[in-house]
Amino acid sequence: MSDTAMTTSATKPGSPGRKTTATGWILHNVVWIWLIALVVIFGMFNEYFFTIFNLQNIMVQATVLGIMALAMALPLLVAEIDLSIPANVGFSAAIGALCNTDLGMPFGIAALIGIAAATLIGFFNAVCITKLKMVSLIQTLSMMIILQGALLALTQGRTITSLSSGYVWIGQETIGGWPVMPIVFLLAIVGMAILLRNTVLGRSIYAVGGNAVASNSAGIRVDRVKILAYSISGFLAGVAGYLLASWQMAITSNQGASYLLYAIAAPIIGGVSVFGGRGSVIGVLGGVLLLTVIQVGLAIISVPSFYVGMIGGIMIFIAVGIDAIRVRYFG
Amino acid sequence: MKPAPLQETETPNADRTILRVENLGKNYGGVVALRDVDLSIRAGTIHGLLGENGAGKSTLVGIMSGQRQPSSGTIYLDEQPLHHVDVQAMEEAGVFLVTQEPMIIDHLSAAENLMLGIWPKRRFGFVNWGKLRSDAERMLEGTGIPSETRAGLLDAVARRKINILRAMFSGGKVIILDEPTAALTVDDRAQLFDFMRRLKSEGVTFIFISHFNDEILEICDAVSVLRDGQYAGGSEDVGGMTSEDLSELVLGRGLVLFERKRPVFEPSTPAIELRNIRSAKVDLPELRIRSGEVLGITGLPGGGGKELARVLFGLEPGRSGTIRFPDGEERELPEHPSEAFAAGIAYLSDDRRKDGSIAQMSIAHNISLSAEVALASGAFLKPEQERALSERYFGSLGIKAPDSGVAVDTLSGGNQQKVCLGRVLATEPKLLMLDEPTRGIDVGVKQDVLRIVDELSRTGVSVIIISTDTDELVRAVDRVLIFQGGRVREELAGENITRSKLRDLG
Repeated sequence: MSDTAMTTSATKPGSPGRKTTATGWILHNVVWIWLIALVVIFGMFNEYFFTIFNLQNIMVQATVLGIMALAMALPLLVAEIDLSIPANVGFSAAIGALCNTDLGMPFGIAALIGIAAATLIGFFNAVCITKLKMVSLIQTLSMMIILQGALLALTQGRTITSLSSGYVWIGQETIGGWPVMPIVFLLAIVGMAILLRNTVLGRSIYAVGGNAVASNSAGIRVDRVKILAYSISGFLAGVAGYLLASWQMAITSNQGASYLLYAIAAPIIGGVSVFGGRGSVIGVLGGVLLLTVIQVGLAIISVPSFYVGMIGGIMIFIAVGIDAIRVRYFG
Repeated sequence: MKPAPLQETETPNADRTILRVENLGKNYGGVVALRDVDLSIRAGTIHGLLGENGAGKSTLVGIMSGQRQPSSGTIYLDEQPLHHVDVQAMEEAGVFLVTQEPMIIDHLSAAENLMLGIWPKRRFGFVNWGKLRSDAERMLEGTGIPSETRAGLLDAVARRKINILRAMFSGGKVIILDEPTAALTVDDRAQLFDFMRRLKSEGVTFIFISHFNDEILEICDAVSVLRDGQYAGGSEDVGGMTSEDLSELVLGRGLVLFERKRPVFEPSTPAIELRNIRSAKVDLPELRIRSGEVLGITGLPGGGGKELARVLFGLEPGRSGTIRFPDGEERELPEHPSEAFAAGIAYLSDDRRKDGSIAQMSIAHNISLSAEVALASGAFLKPEQERALSERYFGSLGIKAPDSGVAVDTLSGGNQQKVCLGRVLATEPKLLMLDEPTRGIDVGVKQDVLRIVDELSRTGVSVIIISTDTDELVRAVDRVLIFQGGRVREELAGENITRSKLRDLG
């Protein structure tokens, strides 16, 4: 318990309090500062980094990871987790793609079926966690393994490449040379920001993540909030799956799996608390861009591929370390 | 393991100063939490530390125990100035802080908890279980705590004793107890005090933080009072002080204790009628709570008062029951708190940390949390109305904070309770049920809370206060029901509510 808030003598200008605020500001925005620093560093190594083409490349790469990170942020905000999101991304895309190629459905309906399947999986996870009181870490881990296995079974270990041109349109279309895919990411960011800031559900998500028992006593239906959060999360996973498939024009037998750790790391780097109740969309965006810039940057400055994983990991480690310092000194 | 102080009992020298602070100051950013505090603690005494929420008690003992660094000033231990102060250094020097929430690991036994961190070891780091058990049993001798019982099954007082013993056997000479009586019943408290007196006679020095004057007067040898981060006064001889003296030091003015002017109810006064409320622990055929009445409910834990409130609020399942409001509306028991709020029934739990507020959320968002749904238009929040609502209760409840955007966990206990109160009041209930609304908050804020309840009742709201605080029942309610076994065993009204009757019946 802190007694500080009680002695309310105002902070004098120029007093130590102000300096603390400046340090605090830097630490609070460490993701963005680190991001800018890395952009400058990569640019110095290879001026190709500053080209329009590379900017477009980063935007496209950030789209799939970004929507997955937004999907991951929702369970984290309600103080749970969903490890099955990347597996869901691959599985639901395969469902949609097979509806299109094998069953001959129109690509729009097929894509919607894929997204609906993903939403349903998120919903099902939440029902297991809330009603059956399964532990989310293990329940979604098992769901991840199930979905990975299901994808392998669906594809029979082969890569689905016979996607129709309509199905892959969103991932390939450009307007004036600019890809349209990032627009979906932008919409997802705006939609999620509105959800979290301006709706009863959004406020409830923060409350439930902060203290589920108190939220229940405050009249919030905790289970319902968690189920909605997981369902929206599943929906976003479905969207990410569709985009990834149409961008790559293919669905491999382990589609999405490689995104797992990045999809968890991005929101946490961006300030979403693993204990729930804290985090913002802007933070998630920062985390996503940081990870994407690291990946793209390391490729561009031709770091030998044997070192890419290690150096990328160290950069993430630094970001998380600075964030831990922030939490320690500024809560 | 260090030699237990039991064996190295020094003759307690009442005149020796064991711990002293000089010109102690602490700033957080620009906020002054402590200013120029001088304080000395004599060896072998129980030294009371009193003050309102936010007066600086926690900060002071935080510094004394090395958990926080002072901004200025010096700490002397046995008259030797300490240069480096951290938890480890202070514990090595023998100063231990026992926090408000007992630090206990539920699934370990009492013995294991007692020896936590000082487990006797064999070679290669294996635990010497035999020695652990025999040591623990020796320590627990005479305390009535079975050493093999899982700590999770022990009652509050036993858990606290384990913490104190652990501090003592880790070499503690000065043990700081931060509000150790907060969750204890009257009997537990007496037991704890006996225990403290016994350890005192063995040479242990205690610093005892409490909100309650009578506790200080009962057990302390000396007392120091903090007010607004400064030393406000104290005495080396508590025997010569009265409760009024202490309250005046705490508040810095003659404290006016709140006294409710009991309204006279006509037989025609409308009432909320409860019928056939039955659940696993409640069996209540009928109860009328008049509009504007403040009804006190008391009894032993498990007697049914708290359970009744939780059933009426939809937190616990009820088997049957109807609630009839003065306007003729009749309804079944709510199945969830959200239904209760919608029906005009509000309840505030006694455990405000666990069940009262969202600690990391702002004051404003906490206040509007329960009223949110009624306030919103469809799925969307209405920021303007929400802000107006929060500001209204932030102001009218006198919550002490720089502004309503501050997170609740930065507030003192009393102010947190006001935020919780604001949250339930913002739903504009017809029936308001408060569970131990003044537990663990200081005497000044307590009067504020009782006054708020009184004012609310004058607007026609029916209020139920579930309380074991006799003083509160005597001064603030119109009628008291004593619950036992889920039923009303006794009823007192008006002038008949007296301390002695409550004691005899409780």
